[in-house]
Amino acid sequence: MTREAPALLPPFVRPPSRVAIRRVLSYQADVAAVLHETLREFDPPVRGKVVLLKPNLIAIDPQGTTNTNPAVIAAAREAFLRLGAAEVLIGDGSGIDRDSQAILESMRLRDYVGPLAKLFVDLNVDDVERVVLKTRASRLKELYFPKTVRHADFLVSMPKLKTHHWAGVTLSLKNMFGTVPGGCYGWPKNVLHWAGIDRAILDINAAIRPDFAIVDGIVGMEGNGPIQGALKSTGVLIVGDDPVAVDSTCARVMGLLPEKIKHIAQAATLLGHIEVEKILQLGESIASVRSPFSVLRQFRHLRQDASGPIWTQNCL
Amino acid sequence: MEPSPSIPGINCNAASAEAASFVERICLPFLRENQNPDGGWAFQAGHESRVEPTAWALLALQEFPSSAAAPDALDRGMRFLVDAQLENGGWPAASGDREGCWVTSLACWALQSQKEYAGNLVRGLRWLNDDRPGDSGFWWRMARKLAVGKGINAQNASFSGWSWTPHTASWVEPTCYAMIVQRREAKTPASDLTWRYKLAEAMLYDRMCPGGGWNCGNPRVYGVAGQPQIGPTVWALVALRENAQRPENRQSLAWLESNRDTVRSPESLALSHIGLGVYGRSKSALAENLHDFHPSAKLPWSVSAAAWTTLAFSESSRWLDGMSATRT
Repeated sequence: MTREAPALLPPFVRPPSRVAIRRVLSYQADVAAVLHETLREFDPPVRGKVVLLKPNLIAIDPQGTTNTNPAVIAAAREAFLRLGAAEVLIGDGSGIDRDSQAILESMRLRDYVGPLAKLFVDLNVDDVERVVLKTRASRLKELYFPKTVRHADFLVSMPKLKTHHWAGVTLSLKNMFGTVPGGCYGWPKNVLHWAGIDRAILDINAAIRPDFAIVDGIVGMEGNGPIQGALKSTGVLIVGDDPVAVDSTCARVMGLLPEKIKHIAQAATLLGHIEVEKILQLGESIASVRSPFSVLRQFRHLRQDASGPIWTQNCL
Repeated sequence: MEPSPSIPGINCNAASAEAASFVERICLPFLRENQNPDGGWAFQAGHESRVEPTAWALLALQEFPSSAAAPDALDRGMRFLVDAQLENGGWPAASGDREGCWVTSLACWALQSQKEYAGNLVRGLRWLNDDRPGDSGFWWRMARKLAVGKGINAQNASFSGWSWTPHTASWVEPTCYAMIVQRREAKTPASDLTWRYKLAEAMLYDRMCPGGGWNCGNPRVYGVAGQPQIGPTVWALVALRENAQRPENRQSLAWLESNRDTVRSPESLALSHIGLGVYGRSKSALAENLHDFHPSAKLPWSVSAAAWTTLAFSESSRWLDGMSATRT
């Protein structure tokens, strides 16, 4: 049965959202304990349900610089199982490399979560269903989505905290590009670029509605992300039940203005909260963990502080 | 492990005997066992049939037509393909889709040696010929040449190839597939092929990563060199194999050889050896490494991996061009 998506609601009728910031300084810390404690506060409705974790597994990543860290994926899986989930699957569909197994092997995910044969779903080549897009923010009228995504009871977006050379940032909303199957649209999923990246992000998220977001900000990426930037240690996990609110909080932690990031601002019209006053902040304060990310010159207007860092390394 | 002389087409010298056995014991049975009742193949066993994996499986089985049950599997697979063809001659990536896409090249490729489906092939090739990427139009190219941000990925807008889906940009892999099919069909020297083919060839060289090899088609973004990938590099080398002496080919082949030992999946391993084999380089490492990957507790083996492995060990090159591969 297809998961029932919550209604699309403008912000003024939407209850406040909750976002938690947890300080975790390294992947060697007890990430599972931190996430379990945090998820208990949110009490997500996962008992007896199938949970799909959707990390960002975009490229071969032996150094652990690009993808959601396997320690965080494993910790989230353990936390949801402890909360009573019947099954916790992991799935993604890279937009630039169609060899998922090479990606998984490079980051040694198997060492963290055990055999992947029945655990990992390559969303690029999963069976698909055609979905008519209700929002029509982009030029797209419909998209195919993997059945695993459509039928999971609880969908969790798990990006890494990164800048992005086209979209400004890639967080839990942009991460949903990975649910669009390469087996239907190719590598890259260029149809989304031609339809307008920012608007396509809204269409995709409105169609599949991630229920929860866990952002790996222990080590992020700044500059020419999502794959050619530089490591940025931020030492946080940012977690919440509203992906728009989570991404807005992430942007503020990165020293950026979410209202000026097009896809976050557009998503805030129907999918969640962008305003600080509508977000109940748990854990650390934004100010206490704020760590400005350097951005490409064309995104300098996104900075909260005009003297914030600009990425110049290797740039034209 | 006993060498298997029973499969025609496999070179059973000492270096490839184990590989021959692997194809006979693992690859071909895997393909036969995972053919769906509708005649097609899914990307992974137990899923719904799609055009792309069906085309790869058929290309592999066609290399070994006398292996057990192959004729029936081929017939049923071909029927799946022709039933999936759209009115306009293209093939869709998923059932129910009403638009053709890059898999049209793969379907044509699989049909090229089947005379009874010549009509389907002609309609498919016509669709390919008519399918123009969004970046090939005059106004788009002019806008790109004049754009302020034209240096973002430093590509020559005069060149174009084929796109993944209609009306989007040219990319390396779909361009390679279309070129391979056209080249195979033409049976003429490459110099006599169409202007469009030549534009596509130029596009591939323009999109090569600095230092050799290809990724999806972004050799440089914001001044930073892109990282090559196995799949696009192999298909580009195959598509450009008649230019084996060009420095770009040699450079890319060197990249592929130097990265062969770091490959961590059956798909990329098989592909890398297809690329090396087309240029006459040793495939022995494939035989040595394949058993590390299968039977696999890591991920289910894909139909593509089984098909590409089979093709990697084929000595005939029929699936490529019906003629001997270029040797350097």
